[in-house]
Amino acid sequence: MYINWQLRELNLKIVYYGPASSGKTTNLEQIHRRVDASHRSDLVSLKTYEDRTLFFDFLQLELGKISGLTPKIHLYTVPGQVRYEEIRKLVLRGADGVVFVADSTPLRANDNIIAWHDMKSHLRSNNLSLDHTPIVLQCNKQDTLGAMALVEIKYLLHGQDLLGFPAIAVNGEGVLDTLKAITRSVITKVQHETAYA
Amino acid sequence: MKKPISMASVELPRGLSLSSSQDKIINRILGDLLEKCPAQFILLAELSGQIISVQGETGKTGLVALGALVAGDLAASQEIARLTDQYQHAQLIFREGPETTSFISEAGDRMVLFMRIHKEVPMGWARLIILEASRKLAEVTSIPPGEVEKIDLQLSDEKLDTLIGDGLDSIWHE
Repeated sequence: MYINWQLRELNLKIVYYGPASSGKTTNLEQIHRRVDASHRSDLVSLKTYEDRTLFFDFLQLELGKISGLTPKIHLYTVPGQVRYEEIRKLVLRGADGVVFVADSTPLRANDNIIAWHDMKSHLRSNNLSLDHTPIVLQCNKQDTLGAMALVEIKYLLHGQDLLGFPAIAVNGEGVLDTLKAITRSVITKVQHETAYA
Repeated sequence: MKKPISMASVELPRGLSLSSSQDKIINRILGDLLEKCPAQFILLAELSGQIISVQGETGKTGLVALGALVAGDLAASQEIARLTDQYQHAQLIFREGPETTSFISEAGDRMVLFMRIHKEVPMGWARLIILEASRKLAEVTSIPPGEVEKIDLQLSDEKLDTLIGDGLDSIWHE
């Protein structure tokens, strides 16, 4: 989080985290496609020659003023492939909130669990409190055969209290709901933490 | 009716909050650096890539993306240094090109400074002066700003929800 009182800007960082190929980049691509160009930056993607995320994808959104402050939301994805663990840790640095993009395909259940624990460990190593970092769960690929329901994935992750949304990100379904939820959670938390500090 | 943002002394739990006076000092330091070096342009970002200030001739450079990439570059270089037992504070990375050279420097533990210079500017001088500016910038943010504003939007959670939801709806095309 970075606040510039001269410009009255509130800058926040939200990271899309999840196992490989769960749809993190697809979320940002859909946001980029559907948000008015005057309110977003270009989408920056650092990819391998196989078109997989190497370092991160990045997109900035600018909302209208809220009580005189302009929120600027910086969206990042992490690379999901196992070998990029160190890079995932770096991208989580300074995160104000996380969207965990789970793959609802039954065969990916274990990958979701591994990525979830990996995320918690990296949050801790970045001195980010698990209890105080807003996390929203997105259960993507709900259109796959036998897709796990939101409640099943919450159970898998021991995250029954998580705010979660089913999604088919490739069609844009659930993308905006997820974005709204994490943005609300982060700004509400910032307001609570600072107003009562 | 919107209520005014209140003033109070508050330490943010994490992140960086710059008061108007700190912002002015930072811009003065960057202005001096731009002139003395001389640099083509300078960008200062918060460690997670959020831009604090830009000075000089940026041309068509995508600054928002550059901020994110500079922070990523520094983070990756710091990690490489750690893995190879070379880590030390005040890291400086430089990239030498045929026409220009760019530097990326830690500015304390919360900011990163990017500077691009023409090849005719002596490297030693540029290195000296960017490190000095980085030290000064770090000092500015290491001292609590004292009387700073706090975020008290004075909105109920429900109202805030509605404002954020409406804000996103208004820029979204199905």
